[in-house]
Amino acid sequence: MKRTILFLVALVALLAAPAASAGDETRWVNVNVTENSSNTNVEVHLPLNLVLTVLRNVDVENFHGGQVDLDLDEDMNINFPEILAAVKDAPDGKFVTVTSDEADVNVHKEGGTLYVTVNQKEDEMAKVEVTVPIELMGALSFGEENTLDVTALLESLDTLPNGELVKVTSNEANVRVWIE
Amino acid sequence: MNGQRGMSTVGAVLLAATAGLLTATLMMDWMVVDIRVEEEESPIHIKVPFPLVVADIAAGFIPDEVLDEARVPAEARAQKELVLATVRSLLESPDAQLVKVRTDDANVDISKDGDTLRIAVDADDAVVRCNVPIDGIVKALEDWDWETVDPQMIFDILHAADNGELVTVTTDDGVRVAVKMW
Repeated sequence: MKRTILFLVALVALLAAPAASAGDETRWVNVNVTENSSNTNVEVHLPLNLVLTVLRNVDVENFHGGQVDLDLDEDMNINFPEILAAVKDAPDGKFVTVTSDEADVNVHKEGGTLYVTVNQKEDEMAKVEVTVPIELMGALSFGEENTLDVTALLESLDTLPNGELVKVTSNEANVRVWIE
Repeated sequence: MNGQRGMSTVGAVLLAATAGLLTATLMMDWMVVDIRVEEEESPIHIKVPFPLVVADIAAGFIPDEVLDEARVPAEARAQKELVLATVRSLLESPDAQLVKVRTDDANVDISKDGDTLRIAVDADDAVVRCNVPIDGIVKALEDWDWETVDPQMIFDILHAADNGELVTVTTDDGVRVAVKMW
């Protein structure tokens, strides 16, 4: 009898475990900065909701209610939504390749994700890798007065799978930003 | 007979008064400041307990003119909604280690544990532990008029603190200061 009860308890616990973990849907924004010269390491691990709350309530110059003023020249007539739509609909492939003495820049799309890599060849010898899932690009929302909705962009992180968004390695410091 | 009844009445009154006083004492929030200085010749240990209600009352005697002079800058007032929303959101966030800093000189850890924000600083010359009641900060910020510096805010936060050590500072020259809630 005792063995049966123990078996039943174990079975219930096993069945309940995935349900319990499925309930914890908090997404976390992680930032890791390592400074090589001073042997400093900073790790920030914040709930996405907390970050969004802060951004929605910030009211400073060029940033109001989650909208950043892009401060573009009036002569520049850039249709951001059209450009983004074109990138979103474009097939996989290399979009931009720049090779110079200072740095190499590469932009390519693969499996629905846009990758931007910059390899600096002098000074800090920085290597920057930015991963932009297309879902994130769909959330880029521009206002009529050259504003970018940063909150909408970050809200879309909630739907993304876990993964790295930005990675910078250089002689001076390494930075990593990822969502989980 | 009458004399005996009088004695028992007085006894009962005294007992009730003692019990009432003891209950009131136990019900009150107490803050204890504990200072220890480790010295070979004459170590010092000072312990000052006082009920928060006394501090509450004392704060009420601060003249309004003094508080009027300590006005909050407009720039700070403008961030009221940001601060309130951030602290409320922090209170609702799940428990986790939020910040971890490691340097050659010091380590800093900030974590959320229930309604408490735990801050730990381990430096070369001092160790600091701080347990901040987030719910107390939310209440204090909500009640605050955001116009003048209000000492009552501090007591609101202290009232919300869990029993135990609120702040401890230990220096490498043998001084330990602890503020405890009881």
